[in-house]
Amino acid sequence: MAVAQRGTGSNYLQRAPSPSGLADVLSVILDKGIVIDAFVRISVIGIELITIDARIVIASVDTYLRFAEAVNRLDLTESGGMGLEDLKGDGNGTKRKAQGAIEGAKEKLTPNRDKESEKSRS
Amino acid sequence: MTASPTEAPATAAAYVYGVVAAEAIPPIERQGVADARVRAIAEGSVAALVSGLPPGELRIRRRDLLSHLHVLEDAFAEGTVVPCAFGMVLSSEEAVRSEFLEPRHDELAGLLRRLDGHAQLNLRVAYAEDVVLQEIVAGDPTIAQLREQTRGLSEEAGYSMRMRLGELVAAALAAVREGDGQMILERLAPKAADIVVDDPGEDVLKASFLVAGKDAEAFDREIERVAEEQAPRLRIDVVGPLPPSAFATLEQGAWDS
Repeated sequence: MAVAQRGTGSNYLQRAPSPSGLADVLSVILDKGIVIDAFVRISVIGIELITIDARIVIASVDTYLRFAEAVNRLDLTESGGMGLEDLKGDGNGTKRKAQGAIEGAKEKLTPNRDKESEKSRS
Repeated sequence: MTASPTEAPATAAAYVYGVVAAEAIPPIERQGVADARVRAIAEGSVAALVSGLPPGELRIRRRDLLSHLHVLEDAFAEGTVVPCAFGMVLSSEEAVRSEFLEPRHDELAGLLRRLDGHAQLNLRVAYAEDVVLQEIVAGDPTIAQLREQTRGLSEEAGYSMRMRLGELVAAALAAVREGDGQMILERLAPKAADIVVDDPGEDVLKASFLVAGKDAEAFDREIERVAEEQAPRLRIDVVGPLPPSAFATLEQGAWDS
């Protein structure tokens, strides 16, 4: 997913005519639309749908620690408007691990989910 | 119409994509799920877009998911379509008539009227997290203090304080998230005919809006206004216009499982 850069407001608005990622496709077609009891539902096993559809469950402890780290990482000397670009300049990759975990949450909807989860826990 | 009874034997199961008006059946050129030809089965004033499905277990591939979506998008480009959820299969073409179109005829016709001239827009709103976390630290002395205290500490030494900090931040974030989500819904609701709100997970808002063609521009402008007002703290993703799957529900249409 593209990350909005600093700039005009329009950079914070992204439009797409059609869903692109598999997760977005699923959110349009999988649990939306008419359904009646007479229907047989195709088994969706076989594609990584089960994990894709699953909510991203992060234990609350992990969540708290992640937020703590994210807050600690903030550079408050710049009052407001600090964007991702500023963080890139600090040269400390490990401090941005939490950021990666957040961004990664969406990407986890891809079949690489297990790998990603491991990473965010490490 | 592209209907061609010879495409599949009558015994084949029928995969159903959605329902259109029988008088305005769109030509669907592309292949459907399992690479089958898509055609229409009409009954009264409604028609189902279907394709044959080979007997036996079907392994769903990514392209099948996209085929379902693209068939609906093609139909939507030509007119009004009531989407079915992915994976709806009836035992035969005859069953599409006798178990779906006939007993649900009036309801389907009603949905077609209701969705006519409307499109679905999916909105996902997320925070630029650093910006919002700064707001939270600046707005809460306890959080700011804990942050200072834990900054220099090792992971082990500061564990409980760090947990407390994270808990407070998570709660503060949940509060602003709810407020912002509500604000955006209220801004957009007057321009929408209907709204379905989904669980946003870690995002601020995830919702589908049913928007009439005449309101499309006003809706879009309002999104733009919100995006500009809220930059850089919010990021808004809009997908659409889509076939209105989120608003295609029958009375007994809830998922059982």
